[in-house]
Amino acid sequence: MTMRIGVIGAGFAGGTHARACLGIHGVTVAAIATDPVEHGRKLADDCGARLEPSAASLCAAGDLDIVIVASPTYLHAEHAIAAARGGKNVFCEKPIALTFADGRAIVDECARAGVQLAVGHVVRFFPEYRRAKELIDSGALGKPALATMTRGTFPVGDARPWYLDAARSGRVVLDLMLHDLDTLRWWFGEPARVYGRMLGGSGGLDYALATVRFADGPIVHIESSWAEHSGFRTTFEVRGDVGLVTHDSRSAAPLLTQFPERSDVPAVMPAPALLETPYRRQLREFFRRIAGGEEPFVSGREALRSLGLALAVLRSAETRQVVVWTPPL
Amino acid sequence: MDATAVTTRRLRVGLVSYAHVHAPGLLKTLATLPQIELTGLYDEEPGRGHIAARAHGTPFHRDLEALLERSEAIVIASTNADHRRYTEAAAAKGVHVLSEKPLATTLEDGRAMIEACRSAGVQLGTAFPVRSSAAVLSLKDLIDRGALGAVRAVRGTNPGRFPGGWFGDRDKAGGGAVMDHTVHVTDLLRWLLADEVVRVHAELGSWLWDLEVDDCGILTLDLAKGAFASIDCSWSRPKAYPTWGGLTLHVVGERGTVDVDVFRQALTHYDDRAGETRLAGWGEDLNARMVSDFADALLDGRPAPISGDDGLRALEVAIAAYRSAERQEPVVIAELRV
Repeated sequence: MTMRIGVIGAGFAGGTHARACLGIHGVTVAAIATDPVEHGRKLADDCGARLEPSAASLCAAGDLDIVIVASPTYLHAEHAIAAARGGKNVFCEKPIALTFADGRAIVDECARAGVQLAVGHVVRFFPEYRRAKELIDSGALGKPALATMTRGTFPVGDARPWYLDAARSGRVVLDLMLHDLDTLRWWFGEPARVYGRMLGGSGGLDYALATVRFADGPIVHIESSWAEHSGFRTTFEVRGDVGLVTHDSRSAAPLLTQFPERSDVPAVMPAPALLETPYRRQLREFFRRIAGGEEPFVSGREALRSLGLALAVLRSAETRQVVVWTPPL
Repeated sequence: MDATAVTTRRLRVGLVSYAHVHAPGLLKTLATLPQIELTGLYDEEPGRGHIAARAHGTPFHRDLEALLERSEAIVIASTNADHRRYTEAAAAKGVHVLSEKPLATTLEDGRAMIEACRSAGVQLGTAFPVRSSAAVLSLKDLIDRGALGAVRAVRGTNPGRFPGGWFGDRDKAGGGAVMDHTVHVTDLLRWLLADEVVRVHAELGSWLWDLEVDDCGILTLDLAKGAFASIDCSWSRPKAYPTWGGLTLHVVGERGTVDVDVFRQALTHYDDRAGETRLAGWGEDLNARMVSDFADALLDGRPAPISGDDGLRALEVAIAAYRSAERQEPVVIAELRV
């Protein structure tokens, strides 16, 4: 039996997810919807998919099993809810929504419709973060005391202005920092309080720092930057009382190329040298769980909590006060 | 600047106390710098002091006054809590002082040191050698000539191993990792950005070295002109780490981003005999440059390049961090000054 996929959006995320599906057995990308419609032409051609006239018509289509919502963040709620109402399982790009209310509405609607909802917290599928989790969970580091996580790329807002509009993207905290906030919840559980500072952001420069405190450790410090002009870079270190692990994507590249013509464009998204990308692995895992009737690996509820934590960092950055974290749901 | 002028007039400098981990390096520096005549070592532990003085071919003074009589300046490498009494003793004899960091363990002590030196008309310097790093000086130049635009944010780290001994003693050190490792990055921020810290948030923990003092700390600072910064001051480097620690700055300007890793200049030494891997640093000796600059300033009749006030400003941030962690909220620096 083949699973038939519809994709809403053909930007960074839509293109990545649609193309990731192409290598997965038993899966067909059947439809693409973008606004305007012609934006999706190239991606539809590449996938052998039809162009739907609108997100609404895609969500109502009778031949689709799964809808991948990869539209700009401020449209996630509208599209994910439409997909659930159309009886489709939903894979929603992160952040699940811009507001907690919107995210909650998506989770509730999917539950009501009896469809599965997974959210694209793809860092949980990056092997370096999985390896770190294994070491943490195995006790190899002892009791976690301190962690630092950084994530940066060049000012993406130059090309996609909606990224810099707080009303439509949530900026660097909801875009980049959310990855590390979700990851630290996955690694360590629910923290006690957060403190954040964020630049006002002008000319595409956006940057934030956060300190996340767990009652009895660890302290986690996060840097999220759209001022990493040479391209994507992640680092982390986790210190437990008997060990330390460190990671730097720059020194973990097994392949470096040089050509006399300089045509290198900085990467928008990390692309580790792997036979199976984390993006494909993420979708394959979701499809496998749907086929087996299992809960998704990163559920809507889980994503909603990570969104809530990011919103707490934003609130701290706005009020310049410590914000106590009480996990919702 | 002819060479003879530099070598004929030498500053007579003594080292006070051998308690600090930097004391051996400082004694060696004082014994070798051409513009300094080492007048000897005083140490509150005579056994330890005798051995160290003999190893460097310099007199050991059992009596502090005897060393002060012979010296125009002293370098203090004692426990943090002893900085005040040695500074006051030196000032009373008209002897200039270069104090290890942090300047003191309390603001009261720090202010008293500054006042003692001011009223005696002697210079008080604070040991912030990282300002002498070539990489940091290049960053300073980039900022000063506007290549980065306005600096908006800095993430600084100064992690290390627990240095051992009295560094874990609250009375002698004044605190733990925050007291030890906040002040270098704070001083760099103030100096590089020509700005002052106005607000401090900190989360602290004591989980790594079985100490009564803090060994984990993340500070977030607001500066007066609007930039913000963080400092990881933790003693987070394990015993198995290949070096003592390090100091890094990630500087975000409106027109550019800079990474500084002050101690990056190192060979990796895989040592079968010791059964470990270590970094063998080949970077310049920052302590030697710092002491040299201090001596040159005194010889030229200029003020200490890095003052006691600089030391006090950095100490304020550490004190504010402890207060913030206790209250679980940010602390305004101004409240420390009332």
